[in-house]
Amino acid sequence: MDGLSKKPLNPDSLIEATLENPRMSARNVDVFYGENKAIDNVTLDVGKREVTSLIGPSGCGKSTFLRCFNRMNDTIDICRVKGTILLDGNDIYDASMDVVPLRAKVGMVFQKPNPFPKSIFDNVAYGPRIHGLSENKDHLRNIVEKSLKRAGLWSEVKDRLHEPGTGLSGGQQQRLCIARAIAVGPEVILMDEPCSALDPIATARIEELISELKAEYSIIIVTHSMQQAARVSQRTAYFHLGRLIEVGKTSEVFTKPKNSQTEAYISGKIG
Amino acid sequence: MKPEQTVTALEEDLNALNKKIEKLGKLAIAQFSGAIDGMATFDTEHLNSIISQDKLLDDLELSINDDAFLLISLRAPVVTDLRRVIVAIKISSILERVGDYAKNIAKRSKILAEQGSDTIPGVNIGRMGQLAEEMLTEVINAYLTRDVSKAIKIRDRDLEIDYMYTAFYREILTSMARNPEQISNGTHLLFIAKNIERIGDYATGIAEQIYFLIHGTTLEDDRPKADPLTSSNKET
Repeated sequence: MDGLSKKPLNPDSLIEATLENPRMSARNVDVFYGENKAIDNVTLDVGKREVTSLIGPSGCGKSTFLRCFNRMNDTIDICRVKGTILLDGNDIYDASMDVVPLRAKVGMVFQKPNPFPKSIFDNVAYGPRIHGLSENKDHLRNIVEKSLKRAGLWSEVKDRLHEPGTGLSGGQQQRLCIARAIAVGPEVILMDEPCSALDPIATARIEELISELKAEYSIIIVTHSMQQAARVSQRTAYFHLGRLIEVGKTSEVFTKPKNSQTEAYISGKIG
Repeated sequence: MKPEQTVTALEEDLNALNKKIEKLGKLAIAQFSGAIDGMATFDTEHLNSIISQDKLLDDLELSINDDAFLLISLRAPVVTDLRRVIVAIKISSILERVGDYAKNIAKRSKILAEQGSDTIPGVNIGRMGQLAEEMLTEVINAYLTRDVSKAIKIRDRDLEIDYMYTAFYREILTSMARNPEQISNGTHLLFIAKNIERIGDYATGIAEQIYFLIHGTTLEDDRPKADPLTSSNKET
């Protein structure tokens, strides 16, 4: 059984699902956990140098969908993905696609900061080392410094780079994870509720960082905070029961949503 | 899927805000209607009560502003809910101004009553007042019932008031030109007429807020206007 309702969607609210010249494209994507369909025929483009937020009630499939973009669902045995996902026009589910470089290009930041049990320096240096991105030690140091600076963490850690990453505060750990993702030169950064374990000050710093990072990267963020989606993203996609209900400019979705379900959700009336 | 109609704290607050707008609307209509009646009867006691009661509207508007501020701060309304709050603030401000005009009409009517003003011929300012009162009453009903088509019709009626005002303006000006003794009373009457004409505009403004409330977009301002100062054969 697929457990999803089959009510017709409002086509108006999906007009903006596709973009010209997108960074990533999902076409008719279904995701199954065993027999259970978690994502039902979702088509959605992700633009270059902008933040796309995925919102919707718990269990609507937004995290599952996010994890399709760097094949994180491959790690779950019973999970099957159908349809097409393209990165710069190349099918990431193609048999010839190597997932290790793919995950460098499409980095991920998780809900709970998860630094490796290594030094701050090694946390950031780890990716460039395994991907062979640094020519020598100086170059590696450069990459680490640049990544920590972009993640807005450098000034706080530059004098203790060899202390364990796990000794940092929650907000600092999350920025360390962002620095780690940036260090391997990604094109896209996926963020799965990156601030849900952080206090408001640390959240504000991450949001500021997201706004800065969008100048270089495409960012897709899953969030339960409507205000966060409104503050950081340029496009918002609303999911319900595994289906994409509405997508559009954040300024439109949060002021004049086309679908009454979207309005009910963002007004706190369902979910 | 229809959203769940649970009565949330937000909904309760929005309903309470709406009740206050309804009360303010009724007060504004009563004040304006009373001022128009007082103008016809020259009942100075009645006119005095109109003048003193204006404070009720001022206080109620402040209270609506406080509630709206608190509601936005604590309940963080969005989309239609947010429009309801914004529109409540705007309509309450309009209704408070209607009260100010009603008070001004009452003050000028008192002066006319003291001076005796029935010497200006042919002037039917009462009809114009009635029309404005009807528009105001209907537009407040349209707001309470969220009736956009009614709101648009009311907006279109503003032209009638504009024409009446233009005719009235010319009539009084001609009368004052013929008889300079009429200038003092005539000036008060001109101001009263202008106040009534403004109330027509305010009813129109409320109609536009209703449109915004329901559709989330602004009604295009493409109505014909009848302003004596911009009409082709102006006499000033």
